[in-house]
Amino acid sequence: MTATDETVVLRTPAADETAVLTAPAAADTAVLRAPGPDETVVLRTPGPDETVVLRVAQTPAPAVRRPVGERLLLAGLLAVVALVQGWNILDYPQVSDDEGTYLAQGWAVATGNGLAHYTYWYDHPPFAWMQLAALRWIPAALLPGELAVASARFVMLLVAVLSAALLFVLARRHGLRPWTAALAVVLFALSPLAVTMQRQIYLDNFAVLWMLAAFVLARSPQRNLWHHAAAGICAALAVLSKETIAIVLPALLVALWQGSHRSTRKFTLTAFFCTVVPLIALYPLYALLNGELFPGDDHVSLLGALLFQVADRAGTGSFLDPADGAYQLLHSWLYHDPVIVLAGAAAVLVALASRRLRAPAVAGVILIAMALRPGGYLPAMYVIQALPFFALCLAGLAGLAAAWAGGRRRPPLERPWWLRLSPPSRLRLRLGAPAWLSAAVDRVAARPWSRRLAETAVVVLAVAAAAPWWADGHVRAATASANDGYADAVAWIEREIPDRANTRILVDDAIWVDLVEAGFTPGTGVIWFYKADLDPAVTSTLPNGWRDVDWVVTSPIVRQEEGTLPTVDAAVANSVPRAVFGAGDDRIEVRRVTAP
Amino acid sequence: MSVVIVVLSVLVGGIATVTLWWTVHAWRTPETLAGTRFAEPDRHHELSFSLLLPARHEEGVLAHTVTRMLESTHTEYEIVVIVGHDDPGTSAVAERLARQRPDRVRVVVDHHPVKNKPRALNTALPTCRGQIVGVFDAEDVVHPELLHHVDHAFSTTGADVVQGGVQLINYHSSWYSLRNCLEYFFYFRSRLHLHAEKGFIPLGGNTVFVRTDVLRAAGGWDGDCLAEDCDLGVRLSSRGKKVVVAYDSMIVTREETPDSLGALVKQRTRWNQGFLQVLAKGDWKQLPTVWGRALALYTLSGPFLQAFSGVVTPLGLVLALTFDLPAAVALVTFLPFIPTLATLLFELVGLHDFGVQYGLRIKLRHYVLLAVGAPVYTLVLSYAAVRAVVRHLRGRNDWELTRHIGAHLGDAAVPAAAVVPAVGRAAVVPAPRDSTEVAA
Repeated sequence: MTATDETVVLRTPAADETAVLTAPAAADTAVLRAPGPDETVVLRTPGPDETVVLRVAQTPAPAVRRPVGERLLLAGLLAVVALVQGWNILDYPQVSDDEGTYLAQGWAVATGNGLAHYTYWYDHPPFAWMQLAALRWIPAALLPGELAVASARFVMLLVAVLSAALLFVLARRHGLRPWTAALAVVLFALSPLAVTMQRQIYLDNFAVLWMLAAFVLARSPQRNLWHHAAAGICAALAVLSKETIAIVLPALLVALWQGSHRSTRKFTLTAFFCTVVPLIALYPLYALLNGELFPGDDHVSLLGALLFQVADRAGTGSFLDPADGAYQLLHSWLYHDPVIVLAGAAAVLVALASRRLRAPAVAGVILIAMALRPGGYLPAMYVIQALPFFALCLAGLAGLAAAWAGGRRRPPLERPWWLRLSPPSRLRLRLGAPAWLSAAVDRVAARPWSRRLAETAVVVLAVAAAAPWWADGHVRAATASANDGYADAVAWIEREIPDRANTRILVDDAIWVDLVEAGFTPGTGVIWFYKADLDPAVTSTLPNGWRDVDWVVTSPIVRQEEGTLPTVDAAVANSVPRAVFGAGDDRIEVRRVTAP
Repeated sequence: MSVVIVVLSVLVGGIATVTLWWTVHAWRTPETLAGTRFAEPDRHHELSFSLLLPARHEEGVLAHTVTRMLESTHTEYEIVVIVGHDDPGTSAVAERLARQRPDRVRVVVDHHPVKNKPRALNTALPTCRGQIVGVFDAEDVVHPELLHHVDHAFSTTGADVVQGGVQLINYHSSWYSLRNCLEYFFYFRSRLHLHAEKGFIPLGGNTVFVRTDVLRAAGGWDGDCLAEDCDLGVRLSSRGKKVVVAYDSMIVTREETPDSLGALVKQRTRWNQGFLQVLAKGDWKQLPTVWGRALALYTLSGPFLQAFSGVVTPLGLVLALTFDLPAAVALVTFLPFIPTLATLLFELVGLHDFGVQYGLRIKLRHYVLLAVGAPVYTLVLSYAAVRAVVRHLRGRNDWELTRHIGAHLGDAAVPAAAVVPAVGRAAVVPAPRDSTEVAA
C-alpha cells in the first residue's frame, strides 16, 4: 500500500540481487513505503521456512504535502498560463455569436429574467452561465469601456488557470513526475488551439473544469468515500454545465475503480452514484415541474431539444471529405495546433495499454469515437473536452519513455495480451545489442543524474518539436486585434442613435448585452436576429414585419444566414449602410431600415 | 407556505444526511475499515473476567449458552449466573451447571421484589472476582475466541470499556427481521465507531466489558432506568473513560430478532422511553467535548427526530405535487430524498456485504424486501417513538404494565407463549441490551 501517489514497482530480481521481506518480529512493524527516486524494491518468493505477512496499515494515509520545489513549479506554470492566456484576450479571437448568447443567458440569470434572454428552450443545461453570471460583474466593473463579451473572458481566464492546476494534480495522481505533469499542463493550456478555445466563453470550458475536479477526486490518495461522493457532485456539475461531457463518465468510472480499495469499493462507488445521479436528475425534474419534459405543440421541452440535437440537427459529415463541415473543422483545429490534435489522438490510443493512464485514455478514445461516428453533428468547441485527456496521455507516455530511457527498468507499458506474443528467445537475442554496449548503457543508466537527464531531454524534445508549430499561433494570439469592428460599431451606435429605449435594432448576440447596457429594451428593442423570425414572443411585437425594425447590424454570422430568415432578409434588403467597420467578409455594417 | 416547506425540507434533509453519514462511516477509507476490526491478538493473557449472565425464565436455553461459553479459549474467567428468588426452574438449571463446573460457574440470587436486568446485574457486581466485568444475555451465542480478543483490546489500547459486536442473524424470518438485522449490521459495523471517535457511546446491553473498579466507582447500573446500558455508556463517557469498539464478523455475539412485529414495537417503545429517561437525567451535559454533547443530544432524541422525518418526508412530497409551488421550491422538497435514497442504496450494498461476511445466501427477494419494507419499517419505528412519548408523559416507566396493557388490548400479534422469550431476546438498536423486567 502506498501512502502517496507514487507507485511501487515490483520486478524480478537480477542474479546478483537479494532482498527479502521477512515476517516482522512481535514488536516490530514493517512499513512498505513508496520507493524514493533512486530506490528499487525487490520481492522474491519466500523460502519454505519463511513467511511474509502484509496487512493494511491502520493509520490513514497522510494528506499529501507537495514539496516546495513542486509547488514553485506549479505556481510558475500557472503564472505563465495566466500570462499567455490573458495577454490580448480582449482582442483575440473575434467575439462570436455563441459567446454572446451564453453571456446574454448569464445576463438573464444575473438580472432575474429567467434562465435565458429569450424563452429558455433547454438547448443546454444552465449551470455554466449561472457560474458566468456569478462572476462576470468583476471584470465588467474593472473594464467598463470594453465589449461585454471581451471583458467577460476574464472569467474564462480564471477557469483556464484552475483547470490547469487541476490537471497538474491529476497528472501527479496518475503517477506522473512533476516535470511530466508540467508537460501535460503546457500541452493542455499553452497549445495555440487551447489558447484560442479556452479564452472564449464556451460551456465546454466550465464542463472540463468540473470534470477534471471529478477525476482528481476519484484518484484521491486517501481513497475516501466522501471524496468519491464529491467526485459525483463535480461530475454532475460538469454535465449540468455542458451535457455532452456525459460521454466521458465511463472513463470516470474506470478512474473510480482504480482509485478505490477492494474492501471499500462497493461503498465508494455507491457514494458516487448517490451524488451524480440525483444531481443530474434535478435538470429533467425541473423540466417536469414546469411541464416541459415531454414535447408538446405549444411549448418548448427538454426531450424535444434533445431530439433536435441528436436526430434533427444536420450532421457535419466526414473528416475525410473536403466538402464536409467536419473536414473544415478538423483543419481549423490543425491550423491552430497539429501537435496536440494528432499526437494527442495517437497517444490516447497507445496509452490505453497502460494501466495507470487507462482512465484518461478511455476518455480520449470515447471522444474520438464520438467524433468519428457517421452523420453526427460536431460543434467547433468539441475539441475542448478532448484537450486535457490528450495532453495527459501524451505527457504520461513521454514520462514513461523517459523513465525507460533513464534505466528505471520499468516496462513502459503493462503489456496487453497482444504484445505478450513475443518472438522466440533466440531471435530476440540476435536482435539485442551486443553485451558490452548494453552493459555500458546500464552503467550510465544506473547513475542518478541519467534519469533527470533523460526526462529533461524528453521535455526539451517535446517543446522543440512543438515550438515551430506553436510560434505562429502564439504571435497571432498575442498581437491580433480581431474585435475592433464590433467595438467601433457599439461606440457608433451609442453615439449616433438617440432614443434607444424606443428603437428596434436587429443584431447578433456578440453585442446584444452591450446594446442592452447602452439603453435598448432587452429582447424586443435589441433583438437577436434569429428571434425576429423564430420566436413567436418576438414576432408578435413586430406586426408589420421588417417595417417595425429601425436598424440592422450585419456581421459575418448574419450574412451567413441569408435566405433562411425572411424578416431579417427583408430588413437588410430595405436598409442602407450608415456606418461600416472593417472590410471584406469580416466587416460590420450598421444599417438604417428605410420605408420603401 | 413556501418558507415553511423549504425549512421543513432542509430540516428533514439534515436528519437524513446525518443518518447517511454514520451509515457509511466505517467504509470511509480502507484504513477506517481496517481499524474497526479487533487487532490480531497474541496468545498472551493478562486479564481475568467475570461474565454476568442474568437469566429469568430461561431454563430452556441457559444450559446451552453456558456450555458454549465454557468452550472459551481464555484461561481466566468465571461465569456468574443471576437468577431470581422466585424462579425455581432457571435456578435449578443454574445450580446444576455450578455443581458440574464449580471452578467456572457461580450462581447469585436476586431478591429484589421487582426484578429487572440492571438490578440483577447490581446484585452480582459486589461478588465479581475478575478484573473485567462482561455482560451477556441468556440466549446469546458467544464465540470461544471472544474473550481472547477482548483481553488483547484492553491491554493494547488501555481502554476502560470494550464494546464487542452483536449481530442478529435470522434475516430470513420476516420482512422486519431482515431490516432489523441490517440495522444491527450498520450499527455495530459503522455507527458505533463514529460514536467512539467522538467520545460518546450509548453502550449495548451485552458483549460489553468494563473494568470492574471503574464500574464499581460509577456505582454500577441504574436500577430504575429502562435503558440502563445506554445510561452507563453516557455516565462513563462523561467521566472521560475510554471506550473502544471492536467488530469482527467472525466473533460477534449472535442473537435473534423479536418474534413478532408487536414485540418489536414494545421493544422499541422501551428503548425510546429509556432514551428519554437518560436525556432527562442530564448526565450527557457533562460530556467533555461539544461534539460529544451534540452527538449525545442527537442520539438520545434520535428516535423522535426519525419519527418526525418519517411523517414529514411523504407529506412534503404530497405538498410538492398538489400545491402550485414555484419550481425552485418544488425542487427543494425533493432534496431530502437524495440522502434517504442514498441510505437505502447503501443498505442494499450492506446487505450484500452482510451476506458475504456471514456466509449467508442473500437472494434477490431479500433485496426487494429490504427496499420495499423501508417506508413501512420507518412508520413502525415512528409509531414506537410516539408511543414512548405518550407513555413517558403518563409516567408509565415499568415494563410489566406495558405487557398487561398490551394483553388487554388484545394485541394478537404477540402470542402469549412468545411473550417471555420475546422480551428475553430483546436486543438493541441503537444499543443492544436485554432488560428482563418482570413483576414479582
